[in-house]
Amino acid sequence: MTSMTARASFIELDARARAFALLDGGTARELCGPFDRIESPWLEPQGVVPQSDDGVVVVRGKLAGRAVVVIGIEQAFQGGGIGEVSGVKIATALSLAARDSRAGVPTAAVLLLETGGVRLQEANLGLATVAEVCAALLELRPLQPVIGVIAGMLGCFGGMSIAAGLCTELIITSEGRLGLDGPQVIESEAGVAEFDASDHPLIWSIDGGAQRIRTGLADTLVPDDVAAIRAAVIEGLGRGVPADHRSGWIDSLGALLAAVDPTDPPEPADLPAIPSKGDER
Amino acid sequence: MSASRQAAASARSWTRRRAAKRERLEAVEPFASGRVLDAGRILDALQALLRPGDRVALEGDNQKQADFLAEALAGCDPKVVHDLHLLISSISLPEHLDVFERGVARRLDFAYAGPQSVRMAQLLADGKVEVGAIHTYVELYARMFVDLAPDVVLLCAEQADRDGNLYTGPGTEDTPTIAEAAAFRDGVVLVQVNELVDKVRRVDIPGDWVDLVVASPRPYALEPLFTRDPRQIGQVDILMAMLALRGVYERHGVTALNHGIGYDTAAIELILPTYGEELGLRGKICKHWTLNPHPTLIPAIESGWVESVHCFGGEPGTERYVAARPDVFFTGRDGSLRSNRVLCQLAGQYAVDMFIGSSLQIDASANSSTVTEGRLTGFGGAPNMGHDPHGRRHSSPAWLSLPAGEPPALRGRKLVVQITQTFRAGGTPAFVESLDAIQVGADTGMPIPPVMIYGADVSHVVTEEGVAYLYKASSLAERREALAAIAGATPVGRNLNERRVEALRRDGLVALPEDLRVDVRKAKRSLLAARSIEDLVTWSGGLYDPPAQFRTW
Repeated sequence: MTSMTARASFIELDARARAFALLDGGTARELCGPFDRIESPWLEPQGVVPQSDDGVVVVRGKLAGRAVVVIGIEQAFQGGGIGEVSGVKIATALSLAARDSRAGVPTAAVLLLETGGVRLQEANLGLATVAEVCAALLELRPLQPVIGVIAGMLGCFGGMSIAAGLCTELIITSEGRLGLDGPQVIESEAGVAEFDASDHPLIWSIDGGAQRIRTGLADTLVPDDVAAIRAAVIEGLGRGVPADHRSGWIDSLGALLAAVDPTDPPEPADLPAIPSKGDER
Repeated sequence: MSASRQAAASARSWTRRRAAKRERLEAVEPFASGRVLDAGRILDALQALLRPGDRVALEGDNQKQADFLAEALAGCDPKVVHDLHLLISSISLPEHLDVFERGVARRLDFAYAGPQSVRMAQLLADGKVEVGAIHTYVELYARMFVDLAPDVVLLCAEQADRDGNLYTGPGTEDTPTIAEAAAFRDGVVLVQVNELVDKVRRVDIPGDWVDLVVASPRPYALEPLFTRDPRQIGQVDILMAMLALRGVYERHGVTALNHGIGYDTAAIELILPTYGEELGLRGKICKHWTLNPHPTLIPAIESGWVESVHCFGGEPGTERYVAARPDVFFTGRDGSLRSNRVLCQLAGQYAVDMFIGSSLQIDASANSSTVTEGRLTGFGGAPNMGHDPHGRRHSSPAWLSLPAGEPPALRGRKLVVQITQTFRAGGTPAFVESLDAIQVGADTGMPIPPVMIYGADVSHVVTEEGVAYLYKASSLAERREALAAIAGATPVGRNLNERRVEALRRDGLVALPEDLRVDVRKAKRSLLAARSIEDLVTWSGGLYDPPAQFRTW
C-alpha cells in the first residue's frame, strides 16, 4: 500500500499546479499571470471578489521536449466559469499557438477543462468569448494537436463542453464528467423526474468519464495520477493531427441522435451499444 | 402477617401485565398466521394491538429506522389509538412527529432529534407534544428497565424465520436491548423485517423474545451517518489532526479510544499511516477502538495500526470489508459484523481512555452544545462518551497521566478532548460567551440547560491555534485563560494578552504548534493516506462498497 501514500493526485492540484506538473521541469513560464492583474471588470459591481488571473492559467513550456501551451481553468474560482477576460485569455493563447505554428515554431495546446461553462455574471460577453475560443481552437487544430484533459472533480459543462468536443483528443478520468447541460441545470429546467441531480450513479452513468469513453465521446481513460495523465497527454500529442476530427463526423453523430427516442430514452447501460463513430471509421 | 392482610394479598392479581399481553395477542390473531402478521393489514393489526395510553418504544436510532411500522403508527385512527407515550431514541423520520400532530401520541421521551430538530421545537411550542425528558441513548434504554417499561415495542431487523428468530445484520445497534425490556416484562415485541426466511443467517435475538413479525414491503431505512468523504477535509483539519496527534495521543500514549464523526477526527484517522508512521507511533497509540466502522479508518487498519474495533452499529458499504477482517472487528459465525450500542457505550465509558469529538459551540468555561437557536436536537450518545466516569477503577498509563482526586483517594482521569476550528463555515465563532443552549433551555422550560459536554469533564481542547491542557488548570479562572489562549479571534479568545499566553505555555497549560514541534507547512492534503472515497476503496482492496451518494465515478 505504499503506492497509495506515494501516489501524486492530479485532481488535488489547482489549475496552476496542474499546468506546471504536466510540463518538463524548468521549462514552464506563465503568461498573463496574476501579477499582470488582468481582472474581470464585471464581478466587483456584482459583489464578487475578482481574481487577478480571472481563473485561467496560461503556461508555455515544453512537454517531452515539444513546445506546448497549457491552458488551465481553475475550478475553485466561480466554478470554472468563463468570463470576458478568462475567455479571451484562452482564445488568444490558442491563436498565438497557431501563429507560432505557422511561423515555423509548432506549438501544440493542452486544455485543462474544469468548468461549468459561461459565468452567469458576464452572460453575453462570456458566450461571445466561448465562440472566440472555439474559433481559435479550429484555427490551431489543423496545424497542431489540441489535447483536452477533464480530470475532475468539477467536470466540463456548458459552452466549454463544445470546445471539448472540438479537441483533437480528450483525456478523462473516471471522476471526470462531460456534458452540455450539467445535472443541476437539467433538474432545475426540466424537473427532477427528467434528471435527479442528487443521483450520483445516474450522473456518472451518463456524463462520467468511463461512460464517455464507452460512447466514443472521449478517447483515453486515465487514473487520477500525475504521471499517468502526463504520459497520456504526451501520447496524444505524439499521434499528431488526425486526418479528420470527431466533430467532423456529422453523419455518424447525427445518426446517434436519430437513434435515440426522447420519449423512450435508452437505459444508460445501453448507450454504448448505439452505433457510434467506430462503425464509420 | 395478619389474616386480613393475607386475604388482600391473595385477592390481588400479580399477572395483570401477562393477562393484558395475552389479550392483545388474541386481538391481532385475525391478522396473523402464527407469528407472521399480514403486511397488507398492518394498520388493522396495530389498532387491535394498541390501547390508548400505551407506552410504545418505536425503534429509530441514528442509523436504522423501523420506518414501515412508524408509517403505520402515524396512520392509526386517533379515535381508536390515542394518548400514546412514545419512546424513540432518535427522531429522524417525519412520521415520528406526524404521530403527535395527528393526536395518536401525546407524550414523548427521546434522546436525539437531529433531522427533525426544527419541527420538534415547533411542536413543543404548539403544545402538541409533552416531553418527559431528553436523554442520552443509554439513559433512555436504562429507563425502559426501570420506570419506562414499554407495553409494545416496534422494532426492525434484516431477517426473521417463522419462529421469530431474528438476524439484525451488521446494524444490531439497540434492537436486543429494547426487545429485552419488553420481552421479559410482558410487553409485546413486534418486528418489521426485510425478509422472511426458513433459516436466519445467525440468531441475534432468539425467537423466544419475539411475538410478531411482519415482512416490510421495502428494506428499513439506513443512513450512512459515519461516512466522511476525505475530499471535504481541509488543511486546517489536517493541522488540527497533527496537533492532536502530537499534543494528546503521543503525549499521553492513548491506546484505547473513541472518535466522533467530524472531518477533524476523520483527518486524524487518515494521517495515522503517514504522519503517525513518520513519528514512529504505530503500535504505541490507537490500538483499540470503540466506534462504528468508519470508512476513513480503513487505511490505518490496512497499515497495521488497529488491533480491535467494537461497534455501536454498522455502516452501509463496509459490510464486506468488515467481514473480511474478523481479527479486528466483532463478527458472528456467519461472518458479518455484530454491533451493540449499549455494550459499546459501556466500553466507551469504562474501557477506553479517550473520547475526542467536535461541537458546534463551546463557551468560555469549555461547556459545549450542539443545540442552537430554534433547534431541539437532544444529545444522542456524546455526553456518555464525553465525560469522566467516576465509577472506573482500573488504571492505564494514559488514564494515570491525568492526575485527579484528592489525597489519599488519588485516581486518574479519562481524556475528554474537544476539537474544533475557532470559526465555523460562514465566519460563525465556535467559542462564544454564552451557549445558545442556555437560552433554548430557558425558553422551552427545561429543568436543566441542554449542555452536551460539561466543561469540568473536558481535559483538552484542540484548535488550529494549539492545544489547551485544561486538566492542568488549578482554578476555573486558569481553565478559562488556557481555553482563551487557543480560541483565536473569537469573543472568548480576543482579550487575552500575549504575556499571559507566554506564561501559560511555560506552565504547560497551553501548547502552540512550535511547542509541539508540529511543522505547520506540512499540513497539506498530501498528508492524508486517502484523499477520496475512491482511495478508500483502493485501500480496502475493493472490499468497501461506498453508498451511491458518495460515488463520484
